[in-house]
Amino acid sequence: MYIKDIKLRSFRNYERIQLEFDDKVNVIIGENAQGKTNLMEAIYLLAFTKSHRTPRDKELIQWDEEYAKIEGSIYKRNRRFPLEIILSKKGKKAKLNHLEQKRLSDYIGALNVVMFAPEDLNLVKGSPQVRRRFIDMEIGQIQPAYIYHLGQYQKVLKQRNHLLKDLQRHRRTDKTMLYVLTDQLIEHASTLLERRFKFLKLLRNWAGPIHESISRQLEQLEVLYDASVEVSEAMDLETISNRYQEKFSKIEDKEIDRGTTLAGPHRDDLIFHVNGKDVQTYGSQGQQRTTALSLKLAEIELIHSEVGEYPILLLDDVLSELDDFRQSHLLHTIQGKVQTFVSTTSIDGIEHHVLKEAEIFRVENGTIEIQK
Amino acid sequence: MYYPEPISKLIDSFTKLPGIGPKTAVRLAFFVLEMEEDDVLEFGKSLVNAKRELTHCSVCGQITDQDPCSICQDEARDNSLICVVQDPKDVIAMEKMKEFSGKYHVLHGAISPMDGIGPEDINVPSLLNRLKDEGVEELILATNPNIEGEATAMYISRLVKPSGIRITRLAHGLPMGGDLEYADEVTLSKAMEGRREL
Ligand SMILES: Nc1ncnc2c1ncn2[C@@H]1O[C@H](COP(=O)(O)OP(=O)(O)O)[C@@H](O)[C@H]1O
Ligand SMILES: [Mg+2]
Ligand SMILES: [Zn+2]
Repeated sequence: MYIKDIKLRSFRNYERIQLEFDDKVNVIIGENAQGKTNLMEAIYLLAFTKSHRTPRDKELIQWDEEYAKIEGSIYKRNRRFPLEIILSKKGKKAKLNHLEQKRLSDYIGALNVVMFAPEDLNLVKGSPQVRRRFIDMEIGQIQPAYIYHLGQYQKVLKQRNHLLKDLQRHRRTDKTMLYVLTDQLIEHASTLLERRFKFLKLLRNWAGPIHESISRQLEQLEVLYDASVEVSEAMDLETISNRYQEKFSKIEDKEIDRGTTLAGPHRDDLIFHVNGKDVQTYGSQGQQRTTALSLKLAEIELIHSEVGEYPILLLDDVLSELDDFRQSHLLHTIQGKVQTFVSTTSIDGIEHHVLKEAEIFRVENGTIEIQK
Repeated sequence: MYYPEPISKLIDSFTKLPGIGPKTAVRLAFFVLEMEEDDVLEFGKSLVNAKRELTHCSVCGQITDQDPCSICQDEARDNSLICVVQDPKDVIAMEKMKEFSGKYHVLHGAISPMDGIGPEDINVPSLLNRLKDEGVEELILATNPNIEGEATAMYISRLVKPSGIRITRLAHGLPMGGDLEYADEVTLSKAMEGRREL
């Protein structure tokens, strides 16, 4: 799939722009703070209805403006799909084919995007939250129902945490409602866990060989799941659900004592091993970067195999962060099949024939010009 | 902008209604000024009467102008069957269907710890009392199909199950007149769970 054109209105530092893209490689060149990331963010938003760098939609609306609008045309299996996101102080609207989609899970998935930004180099080193977000976003975009379950899970979790606080402070004593919310939580937790396991199986198939090749056959990558309950990835939904039941009855007093939910997908983590050692603790910075890159490249292939089309790749300011070998590996992988947006302050030092055939955009203070 | 006091009071009253923001309130207030005096008087009287003359049925909790309400008093209706709903409007929706001949129980809300709403804050205690002496055989839990509605149904079910009363839940299904291919995945999987023998 690819994005043919985009129209921005009062989005970040863009008052009004309209661009047509190349279906292969687009290079966005500009000094710092001119609007390169803002453009990438707009494309990301069309896919996920959320920014990759802020949870607050208000920041995306141009200062002193009432609303922001992003429109884009996606081509998928030779068909055009217009997408539109409108952000205002009152809320957000997402339109697919001109029709408003009230449910997030009915919109997400129309456009698949993989983004690789400097923050993603943190995937390995950062907090567990970063890795949970990674796994949730990636499953969500190939399996919209996952987003629904995640949303339901988060709502039950919030209710349950409130009730645990009430029990902790003796504002309530009857535990019947706690058991109800535990059952409800487990229903969604088991579904999320089962789907995460299935996704990991696919991810490993791709990430292993890719990592081996980027590391010139020197490194073996393993992706492990660190669950807050005693489960194995081979278990079916019912067994997972039983394990949660056992866990929650075991930790009941502790949960009331702490006033919060102590097990569930929101407390899990991913662990990466390179040559049998935990990269987070023992890996060099280079190994951590290679791991992050392997996972992103694996995502591209995974989406292709699950959805039947390659996603759009956004490389925001990362090419210069990678050494020559990793750079050319990356560019070689996407060559000719993945529509890619590369942002950089300077094209010097990026010597690759893929870039030579690219469409070049110059960004300066919220205006963009195509370089002929 | 400064409005004469009677108008700003009227605007203030309109903003207390759900779904009405400041702009709409101003528009409605000025519209009222243009209305015929008789219509305005009638409107005011209806507002006051609706509030004064209606109460909650002491049996089922439905909004009514007589206590017990006409449904609770109707001897032709089946006493052994109670349909539990969240909202007075749900009773009206069920009645429109003209298929249900049991009685109702209106909870006036759902249990929601984050909003500080516990079972005793909605009409759960009166439901439990009712089940003690009325010869009820089946309870249909027709609370909303969202997290809070489900949790409320599960809560009631936990309390009532030991008494042996049959407990059922409305099925979530596909909207009638819709095409299967347009149903979203979540609705489809719920409908699949609730499938039945033909
Ligand atoms: N809501 C907004 N309204 C107007 N300008 C904004 C808004 N948010 C960010 N900016 C401006 O956008 C610029 C940053 O753009 P960005 O795309 O992050 O830069 P870069 O080109 O370095 O990636 C800054 O000049 C910032 O002031
Ligand atoms: Mg940037
Ligand atoms: Zn009644």
